[in-house]
Amino acid sequence: MISGLVQILFFQSLGELLSKLALPFLPGPVIGLVLLLFWLIIKKEINHSLALVSDGFSKYFGILFVPAAVGVVLFLPQLKANALPIIGALVGSVILTIACSALVLKLASKKGDSHE
Amino acid sequence: MNEKNSIVEIWVYLSGSPLLALFITLAAYQIGLFAYQKSKQSPIANPVAIAVILVASIIQIIDMPYDTYFKGAQFIHFLLGSATVSLAIPIYRGLRSLRNRSFPLLASLAVGGGVSIFSAVGIASLLGADKAIQGAMYSKSVTAPIAMGIAERIGESPTLTAIFAVITGILGAIFAPYVLDVIGVKEWWQRGFAIGVGAHGIGTSQAFSINHETGTYASLAMGLHGIVGAIAIPALCQLVN
Repeated sequence: MISGLVQILFFQSLGELLSKLALPFLPGPVIGLVLLLFWLIIKKEINHSLALVSDGFSKYFGILFVPAAVGVVLFLPQLKANALPIIGALVGSVILTIACSALVLKLASKKGDSHE
Repeated sequence: MNEKNSIVEIWVYLSGSPLLALFITLAAYQIGLFAYQKSKQSPIANPVAIAVILVASIIQIIDMPYDTYFKGAQFIHFLLGSATVSLAIPIYRGLRSLRNRSFPLLASLAVGGGVSIFSAVGIASLLGADKAIQGAMYSKSVTAPIAMGIAERIGESPTLTAIFAVITGILGAIFAPYVLDVIGVKEWWQRGFAIGVGAHGIGTSQAFSINHETGTYASLAMGLHGIVGAIAIPALCQLVN
């Protein structure tokens, strides 16, 4: 568990460093993610401790954005004033996005692919 | 010292330390999780949404400024970066089960990502949303932690973006089964991937509750969308402005 956290924090720090020094337009954690992904592809395996930490994070991912999302209290008047466009945009966009991605997949993949 | 004074003192102490904010956040999420399980994992009873509504109401009732709350809750917020890095593991697992599907998957991601931005910003501006709201729509289909990082980079509100991202995930998890049935997509991997592109983390956990293949492809889509979005969205914004 600790060794998994050390690995995650190592790649996160590496990502932050690169973001500060070389790639300011990319968030540090995203660079860390890509670096870790390459590392896994090279090593061809996920060690147990890393898998444990990652599964823990993905199980409780949701709680991590609660503090930021509670900032909604600062935007209540603005959200109320824009309620209709917000609902329209979010509902319309998510339906279109899922429909288009699925349609492309259906058209671009050959028939019988799933039975190979 | 009388009793009332000592209660006030304890209160002053508690609201000044991170303890209270941490407690409220964890307890609210626990209640959210409980409701989610009680509702047989209905996407409407999303634990994040429940926790946010509870915490927001509580800090307004006890008159705690958001800054004070965040000072305590920032310890949870900090882990968001580490959790983002750990997304490499589900992406890697997804890549291993790719077989020869990379072309349709990448095409779907490119189209889906584009549609999510243009439809959201387009509909918001058509219906007369103000600039800040439109700006926060750009990265709302990307998983929330990455979406917030992107929002910071393009000078939009990370908070509004996080809220829109969470709502998008909930809506996606609710609508996805109907949408996919209507357009007749039956393969589980295709359904999973489309859910991951459009409804990131919340959609993905819904997909995992269907079956493993659907979930794996959903988390692959969510992760790839996050990486591609972090590169493409700031570039797109520079192009537009």
